Amino acid sequence: MPGVEVPVSPDPADALASVVALRRLADRIEDAAVEQAMRAGWNWPQVAEALGVTRQAVHKKHAKRLIAAGVALRRR
Amino acid sequence: MSAFGSYLRTVMDLGRDEARQDGSDTIEAQHLLLAITAGPDEVPRQVLAAAGLDHQAVMDALDREFEHSLAAAGASAAAFNLPRSSTSLKRPHLGASARLAVERGFTGQDPQPADLLLGILRAQAGTVPRALDLAGVDQDDLAQRTLLARAAAQDR
Repeated sequence: MPGVEVPVSPDPADALASVVALRRLADRIEDAAVEQAMRAGWNWPQVAEALGVTRQAVHKKHAKRLIAAGVALRRR
Repeated sequence: MSAFGSYLRTVMDLGRDEARQDGSDTIEAQHLLLAITAGPDEVPRQVLAAAGLDHQAVMDALDREFEHSLAAAGASAAAFNLPRSSTSLKRPHLGASARLAVERGFTGQDPQPADLLLGILRAQAGTVPRALDLAGVDQDDLAQRTLLARAAAQDR
């Protein structure tokens, strides 16, 4: 199977900046996707497993924000 | 509290708000730059405004830098059509680039509000230099103008 080509810039400044930007984009997507999943009735263990992290980690990172936003959270 | 201390505190508070709105857990140099454009001291604000950098222009430059840097890795924020998430409740703390800006800016005995902008403009790499470059702003020239405005304000 041919490898997937990722067009990383040959300029180190661009390549390093793309790391910063991708981390920021990943954080934004995680926040939005976790909120979307919990609003759709997913529970913490399901979200944690989908993200490949522990339930404690995902809870610690997102619970307060979602509670404040009025999302009804399912424990299990 | 001294006038300078009061300025720094206000800009840090504004920078924290900018970081929170940006969804960032840390206050970075770009958040301080945005804060300066809305800050209470007219010297750094006017230097930036004269270069066409009001709050909206800095926001636009930062957005452009974000998309440009994502594009370098073949990604685009627009490709992910997710709803905007609720804002974090965490209190953003001072990040690495903002710490460097403070260290680089405040080197003398008589700190002035313009020194924080100078510290930000002394960065050679990172988000702010790239955003300014993409906006067509000459960073060294802007730093020079900031130094002149600082000296003029001190003479008054």
